[in-house]
Amino acid sequence: MAEYRLLTKDFGTEGLQTLKGYERAGGYQALRTVFGKFTPASLVDEVKTSGLRGRGGAGFPTGTKWSFLPQGVMPRYLCCNADESEPGCFKDRYLMDNSPHQLIEGVLLGSYAVQSNISFIYIRGEYRDQRLLLERAVEEARAAGYIGKNILKSGFDCDIIVHGGAGAYICGEETALLDSLEGYRGQPRLKPPFPAVKGLYGKPTVVNNVETLSTLPHIVLRGGEWFKSIGVEGSTGTRVFCCSGHINRPGSYEMQLGTPIRELLDEECGGMLPGSELKAFQPGGGSMQVLLPQHVDLPLDMNAVQKAGSSLGAGAMVFMDQTACLVDYSMRLVDFYEHESCGKCVPCREGTYFQSQLMHKLESGLATAAELATLTDICSNMDGRCFCPLGDTATWFVMSAYKYFRDEFESHCGAGECPVKARTRAQAA
Amino acid sequence: MASGAPPVKGGSAGGVPPQDDGRVGVTIDGRQVRVPKGTLVLDAAAGLGIHIPIYCSHPKMEPVAVCRMCLVTIEKFPKPQPACATYVSEGMVVSTGDADVVKLREGMLEFLLVNHPLDCPVCDRGGECDLQDFTFRYGPSISRFPITEKVHFNKALPLSEHIELDQERCILCWRCVRYYDEITGEKEIVLQQRGVQTLVGTFNEQPLQSRFQGNLPEVCPVGALTHREYRFVARPWELQRTAGVCPECSYGCNLNIDARDFEIKRFASRDNPLVEDMWLCDRGRYSVPRWNSTERVRRAALHPRHGEARDVATGEAIAQAATELRHVIEESGPASVGVIGSAANTNEELFLLERLARNVIGTANIDHQLSTFAGISAAEHELGIAEIEECDLIVVLGPEPENEAPVLTLRLFKAEHKRGRTVRRLRPDPHPAEVASLRGDAGFVGIIADESNRERAAQVAAHLAGRGTVKRLTVTRGVNGRGAKDLGLLPNVLPGYVAARPAGAGGADILEAAARGEIKALVLLGPSSALQAAGDVLVRAVSRAASVVVIDTVPSEVTAHATVLIPGHAIVEKIGSVTNLEGRVQRVRPALPPATQTPAETRVLTALAAELGAADWPGGDPVSVNRALRAALPAYAAAGNGGRALWRVQVPA
Amino acid sequence: MSLAAATRTEIKRARGRYPSARSAVLPALWAVQHELGEITPDAMTEVAALLDLTASEVEAVATFYSMYFLHPRGRHEVLVCTNVSCALRGADDIVAHLERTLGCPSGGTTADGEFTWASTVECLGACGGAPAMQLDHGFQENLTPARVDDILASARGAAPKQPERGAGAPRGR
Repeated sequence: MAEYRLLTKDFGTEGLQTLKGYERAGGYQALRTVFGKFTPASLVDEVKTSGLRGRGGAGFPTGTKWSFLPQGVMPRYLCCNADESEPGCFKDRYLMDNSPHQLIEGVLLGSYAVQSNISFIYIRGEYRDQRLLLERAVEEARAAGYIGKNILKSGFDCDIIVHGGAGAYICGEETALLDSLEGYRGQPRLKPPFPAVKGLYGKPTVVNNVETLSTLPHIVLRGGEWFKSIGVEGSTGTRVFCCSGHINRPGSYEMQLGTPIRELLDEECGGMLPGSELKAFQPGGGSMQVLLPQHVDLPLDMNAVQKAGSSLGAGAMVFMDQTACLVDYSMRLVDFYEHESCGKCVPCREGTYFQSQLMHKLESGLATAAELATLTDICSNMDGRCFCPLGDTATWFVMSAYKYFRDEFESHCGAGECPVKARTRAQAA
Repeated sequence: MASGAPPVKGGSAGGVPPQDDGRVGVTIDGRQVRVPKGTLVLDAAAGLGIHIPIYCSHPKMEPVAVCRMCLVTIEKFPKPQPACATYVSEGMVVSTGDADVVKLREGMLEFLLVNHPLDCPVCDRGGECDLQDFTFRYGPSISRFPITEKVHFNKALPLSEHIELDQERCILCWRCVRYYDEITGEKEIVLQQRGVQTLVGTFNEQPLQSRFQGNLPEVCPVGALTHREYRFVARPWELQRTAGVCPECSYGCNLNIDARDFEIKRFASRDNPLVEDMWLCDRGRYSVPRWNSTERVRRAALHPRHGEARDVATGEAIAQAATELRHVIEESGPASVGVIGSAANTNEELFLLERLARNVIGTANIDHQLSTFAGISAAEHELGIAEIEECDLIVVLGPEPENEAPVLTLRLFKAEHKRGRTVRRLRPDPHPAEVASLRGDAGFVGIIADESNRERAAQVAAHLAGRGTVKRLTVTRGVNGRGAKDLGLLPNVLPGYVAARPAGAGGADILEAAARGEIKALVLLGPSSALQAAGDVLVRAVSRAASVVVIDTVPSEVTAHATVLIPGHAIVEKIGSVTNLEGRVQRVRPALPPATQTPAETRVLTALAAELGAADWPGGDPVSVNRALRAALPAYAAAGNGGRALWRVQVPA
Repeated sequence: MSLAAATRTEIKRARGRYPSARSAVLPALWAVQHELGEITPDAMTEVAALLDLTASEVEAVATFYSMYFLHPRGRHEVLVCTNVSCALRGADDIVAHLERTLGCPSGGTTADGEFTWASTVECLGACGGAPAMQLDHGFQENLTPARVDDILASARGAAPKQPERGAGAPRGR
C-alpha cells in the first residue's frame, strides 16, 4: 500500500525547487487546466468529493470549509498556514524544501476555488531558509505568468505574499495567525465570528495547511473520485508522516491512509534502533495523546486513531524506547506550552506555569504524591476551559501518559531523582 | 403557503406573519425568561438576579472572554461557555451553579492567585476588590501553589503623577488596554511580553499623557492600577458616599463623593449613560483638594464704609443689607442697583436671586458673569449629549469645547469609532471653504461650540440648515452656567429665554458703572471667582459702591470690600439642583457638613426679600424653592430630577 | 532618524505590499533587527511613524515574538532545540557541551561577544535530524559534540551568513 506517492513522487529530482524543474516534472499542469475544467464552485465541489481533510491537525474537510464563505462578499483571502511548530512536526518544511512550487500551485488552485485575489503564506520565523526559497519561487512563478493579473489569460488575478513570522507557536492557530498577519500580537480571536465570515481584515478568509494545499494539484489533475479511491473511508488520499525518536531512519514519509502504523515504523522508518524496544509513541504532534505498542497495528486513519484516544493531528510520529521517561517527555511538552502560551486567558497562562513548576519537581523526584494529585487536578481545571486549543491540549499528553504510565509517574514521587534515567544509567554501567 | 415550504422571513405578502417579537426564551438555573435577541447570557442572568462573576467583561467594552471566570454550562455545548460573550438563543438551557461550574470557578480563582502577591492587607483596593470578593465567595479555601515560586514584577511603578501600577497584582483582564483602545483611542497602555511574563505597561515606561487617566483604577477590577492621591488614604467601608455632580465644568458628570472625617477623599464615577457614560476627566476627578480647602468665609460681618468692621449674627447682616439697599433705591432709584450671581450657584439660589433683582428690587441690571450674550436663544442649547451619537455629522468649532468639557471628547470618540459617525473638528473661525465643504447629505447635524463662538456656530448652522435637522450645543462655563441662562440671570432675557424689555446692564457693565459711581449698590452672590477677570474694575467697583452685599465662600478682594458679608456654602455642602450644558437638571446633595453655621443661601435670599417687603415668596428651604421654581417654569417641571429642560426653539424662516 | 535609508525603504516597500499598512509591522521589525542587531525603543518609534501606529503598539508586537531581540546580542545566535524529539536523541548532551565550551549559561553571550546561545523548548521543526540547532537561523542537524565544535569554529570570527544568501538546500527526508 505504500507505493502511492503523490506529493513526494518527484522529490529528489534534480532542480525540482526551480520553476523549470517543477515544470519538467509536470508542474503547473493543474493550474493550466483548472480554468477550463472547473468553475470556482465546481472546484469546491470536486474537493468535497475527494474527501480531502485538512492536514494541519484538526482534520476538517477542506471543501466544506471553503463552502462556509458567504456568497458574494468580496474581497476574500486565502492564507496558507506554514507556521509548522507543533513538537515533532517537520513535514511542511520537508514539502516546502523539496517543492516550493507545488505549494504555490496549490495556493493558486485554492485561491481560485475561494476567489481570493491576494493570498498569503504565513511561514514561521525559524523557517527563514524556507521563506527565502518560497519568495524566490513566487518571483519565478510571477515572471512566468502563474501569479499576477489575468493568470494564463483566465481572467483570474492572484497575488501571493510570503509573510514570515517571528517566533510564536500560537500563530499556527488560525485566528492568531490572522491577527499576526494583520500586525498585531498573535493571539487567538473570539469566535464566532469565524474566519470564513470575518477573517483577515474583517473579510471572509480560509486558512489551509501547507500539505492540504500541496495536495490540490493532484486532485485537480486526477479528480476527486480518484483521490477518494486512495485511502479509506473518512481518511482519503495520502499523508506525509514525519517520524522521529528512537528509530533507525527518522524522516518524512508519504503514506497511503489506512496503512498500518506498523508498516510506517518497520518499513519506512527502519524499525526501532538496535537494542530499542517500543515503549510508547505519540502520533499527531505534541498536543496529542500517547499510544502504546499495541496501537501500532492501528491503521493510519484519522477516525481509527481518534477512537483509540489520540489523533493523527499534524502527521507527526515520535517513537520512544524503554529509555524514554514519560514524565520527562511530559515535562518538555508542558515547558513548551508554558513558553508558547500567548497569555491571553487565565487557565492557559497560569495553568501551564503551574504545570511546569510541578512537572519539574516531579521529574527531579522531589514531588509528593499530593503534588502529583494537584498536577492532574489542575490539568482537569484547564482542559475545556481555555480560550483556544493551546491550553486545552497542554494537558492531553500529560493526562494520557498518566493514564497509561501511572506507575512511572508515582515512582517519581519522593524518589529524589528520575527513576527511569537512574535505571538507564545503571544498565549502561 | 405550500406545506413544507421554508418559513418566510419578514412576513412577505401572503405569508403568515412570523411570531417574532424580537425576543427569545432561555432557561437559566431552571428559571425561564424571555429576553431580547442579542442579549448576553451574562445580562440575561443578571436580569434574573443571578450573579455571574466577571473580571474582563465590562459593560462599556466589547467582550474578550479572556478571564474565563464567567464560564457556565449550556446544554448541547460540549464545553463551558463564557457568559460574557455568548448570546442567548431560543431554547438555551444554562446552568450557572452546577458542580462543573463550582469546580471551574474554584480552579480559575486558584489560577488567578498563582502569581498574585496576596498583599491584600496593604492594598488600596481591599474591601472593593473583585479578586478578594470572588475568592471569598467562589474560591478554593486553600492555596496549593508555593508562594516562593511566584513570578515577580514591578510592584510600584508610577505611570504618571496620578496613577500607580502594581504589575504583580494585575490579573491581565485587558480592561485598561481596551479602555485606551475603545474608549479614548490613545493606546497608552498596551500588553507587553507574552505568556506568564505578560504585563501591561506604557511604551518604554513613558508617563501617561491622557486627560482621562483617573478612570483606570475604576476599570481595573483589582488593585493593580490605583490613584496615587488615594494611596493608603482610606478603606472603602470607612467612606461616606454621596451621589453628586462634578463641580468642575458644565458637562454635569455624575459622580460619587466619598468622604471621611469631614474631608472628601476621592471622586468616583457614577454611571449615567446619558451624560458622562461613567468616564470622568482628570481635571474634575482630581479637583478634590479644592473642596477640602480650609480657606473659607466663616462668619457674617459688617464692614461699614465709615466705622468699625465687626462680626454679626446672620440676621443682623441681612437686616443691614436690606437697610442699605432700601436707602440706595430711595436715594437713586432701583436702576442704581446691580445684581450678579454666579455659574456655580444652584438653580434654587439663582431662581430667588433673579426674583429679588427684577421683582423685589426692581432692577434690570442682572447677570451671572462678565461677558454678555447678544441674541441668546434656546436654539444654541438644543442638542443633547447622548444625541451626539445619533448625528450623522458632528462639527466642533475649535479646541475650546473639548478643553472646557473634556469628557465631551470621549463621547465624540464613541460617536466616531463605535457608531461610525463623522466628526469634523474645525478652527473656531473656520475658513468659508471649510464650511462650504460641510455640504453633504447628512440628515442630522450637530454643531458644538463654546460660548465665545456662539455666533460662528450660528453661521455654520445657517449654512447647513434646510438639509435635515441641525442642532447646536453650546458648552457653557461653570457647573450651572446653563441653569443661570435658563433662569434669566442675564440682562437681556427673562427666565425661559423671553426677551427682557428694556434690557439692563450685564456683568461687566454693572461693574464699570459701579466703578464710575453710577451704580451705587451691588448684590453679589458668589462664588465670585469668575468676576476676578475684571481685575482693577472689580476692585474699584466694590470699593466705591455705597453698599456691597456679598454672599461668598472664599475670602477675596470682593469679600474684603463687602459692606455686608454673609458666608456662602460650597456646592459640595448644599442641597439643590444644577443644570448641565444640555439642560439636564441634576440634584446636588451635601457630601460635607457646611464650613459655616450660617443658613443656606436660599434662606438668606428669602429673608432679605422679606426684609425688602416681598410677599408670596416660598419658604426659604431649598425644597420649597425648588417646588416654586418648577411651578414657575414648566420646562423645569417636565425635566424633574435628571431630565432635560427643553425650551421651544424658534426656527428661523 | 536613526534607521538607515535602506531599512526605511524596505519598511516602506513592505507597507505597500499589504492591503493594510499595519501588516508590515513584522517585516519592519525584521528589517530593523537586520540592521541594528536588536530592536531599540528609538527604532520602534520610527517604525510606528512609518506605519501610522503608536510606539506602544509596536512595542506590544515586538515583545510578543520570541525571535525579536530587545537587547544587544552576540555576533552569532545559536538556538538548541530541547523539545521531545531532540531530547530523545541527546539534546541535553548538546546543551551541556555548549554550556561548557561557550562558558556561559543558556541565554548568555560569550565573553568575546561571538555567540549568544540558548536552549529552547520551542520545537525548531528539525525532529528528523535530531538533535538539532540553528546557527543564525540556519539549520544544523544530527549534532554530536564534535560536530558542534566544528560548526562553532567555522562561524567564529566570520560574519553571520546574510539571509539573502542563506537559502537552504533541501534536506533529509
